[in-house]
Amino acid sequence: MIYAFRLPLINPHMSSARIECVYAEPGGALKNGSKLFDLGVDLSSAFAQECPPVSFFRVVLREPVFFRRLNADRGQLCQVGEQVALFSDKADACLDDAPVRDIRFAVAGIIHHEGMWTGRIA
Amino acid sequence: MIRRPLHLGALSADGFSIHRSGIRWLIQPGQFCRANQIFGYCNISLQPAGFRLTGDKSFAEETDLQVAFAPRAAGRINGAGAELGGYLSIQRDVCAWDADTVIAQLELEAEPESDVEGLRLLMLAGRRMTGLADVHSGLLPGWHGRTRGWWCDERTVPVSLLSLGICDATGVVLGEQCAFAEMFEAAGAPAQMIFVPDHPLAPAAPILLDQLDRKPAQFQAIADDMHRFLSDSAITPTADDWIFSGAMLTALQQSPIEDAYSLFTPSGTVRTGPADAILLSLSSEPQSLLRHKSLGYHAHIMRHHQSAAGPVFRAFLESAFETVKRSIDDIRLDYEKLLDRMHAVTGARALVINCMSTSGHEDISNYSSFDPPMSRTLSSIASKELNLVLHDIAERRDLSIIDVDAIAADLGGAEHLPDGIHQSGLLQVALRSEILHAMEDLRSAAQIK
Repeated sequence: MIYAFRLPLINPHMSSARIECVYAEPGGALKNGSKLFDLGVDLSSAFAQECPPVSFFRVVLREPVFFRRLNADRGQLCQVGEQVALFSDKADACLDDAPVRDIRFAVAGIIHHEGMWTGRIA
Repeated sequence: MIRRPLHLGALSADGFSIHRSGIRWLIQPGQFCRANQIFGYCNISLQPAGFRLTGDKSFAEETDLQVAFAPRAAGRINGAGAELGGYLSIQRDVCAWDADTVIAQLELEAEPESDVEGLRLLMLAGRRMTGLADVHSGLLPGWHGRTRGWWCDERTVPVSLLSLGICDATGVVLGEQCAFAEMFEAAGAPAQMIFVPDHPLAPAAPILLDQLDRKPAQFQAIADDMHRFLSDSAITPTADDWIFSGAMLTALQQSPIEDAYSLFTPSGTVRTGPADAILLSLSSEPQSLLRHKSLGYHAHIMRHHQSAAGPVFRAFLESAFETVKRSIDDIRLDYEKLLDRMHAVTGARALVINCMSTSGHEDISNYSSFDPPMSRTLSSIASKELNLVLHDIAERRDLSIIDVDAIAADLGGAEHLPDGIHQSGLLQVALRSEILHAMEDLRSAAQIK
């Protein structure tokens, strides 16, 4: 069975998020609890603010899956609902099949770190 | 309907005559105004008595001086709008300040209990980041390294609050018109509000400590080092490089906590000491910041401000500085050092806006996915630990916690603090009230210094 990861609506005011980090390689088996992505959510299009309201989130798996395909690059801005990656329950499940559901994942607010696409200086 | 003329009222600076522009209005004719709500303003200049020269030692650095007007009682303001207009509402020396000038009429529902004919005057002063930031639009316009305002009341000593926070303090203190209007309307009692922006240097504790301790020779070494890097660069510095480095030097040379102030009053200039209270943001304490490799001073430039630097200055930050990691305990030690130093130098009380520590945007069901210490990664845990540190510090030092964590949770974080740092108007009102409450007992202790 094929599972999808579509960019979730983490904040009701967001319309997109940037892929800050990708922690896994397509082709590998991932355990429950594995880190998948760090996302950057910039709300500056929703709010006029003194500084851009950017928050960072980590997506963590809540089930064991095989990582099959990544549809976005690090640094890419993805729209809410956009299919970012595909997973499967078996290593050789056919990717031509439509996803039966989204993968199970958890989202956690995180602190900006040096490995992120956004910003290079402390 | 009772109608009362609104006089400009007395305003005096020792040894100077005060001149003003025409009046610019913030309301429509006949509009209802609350007591202490500013409804108009003018620019002013100080001119040495007997001369037509501008400038003064007390206010030499504050080239933007304005007076805003508020009624002492609620009512409709009529007569607003009959002014010269055009450039004559901008130029600071169109006419001399005359206390008897009537600028509008106040219409009241009932006979006032006290004199309402003298306007309440809110003084505004801005120290430009550069003299080139000569902007004429609205209240406290342009690019300032420091702005301040105070109620110009007779025979009172204002309590001063210096805001050294980031965004979670900026909106609360400056308000939507960026001229302290909401804060002063809420304050009522005599107060001075001072605001220093969070750029180019964000006010983390090590930066403020550096400012307090830096000697002129150390600053000169910093300036020489920066000049050397920009001059020796293989690529030509851009305008952004020079502007950013100039702003950095300005911030590095100052120590706002130690600033003393001159105030106009109806009867002359009053000199006060440093601020009685310092408003800080716990959210401005990063877990990593920059330290100069040889000179040892710290820099924390928020990411959205780093992009204002040109390529050479960014190269300077990357090559001349090293990244220093700070644990929660390091932050506690820095905070304690800062508070002790502040207490020793000025005696000011710290008011600290804590961190929002919960988020409806996450759904962690199992923490085993996150490596310890989790405060290194998870923002909610880092915020909770920082908030706890603040309580520990408050037990032993003069520190008031402005508990945005509790207030936002009470009002609803998703609606009123959607990204955890930028508040709604309602939340700002609640925080203003908390800040003013925390300053209440300072009022009796305030003295003209």
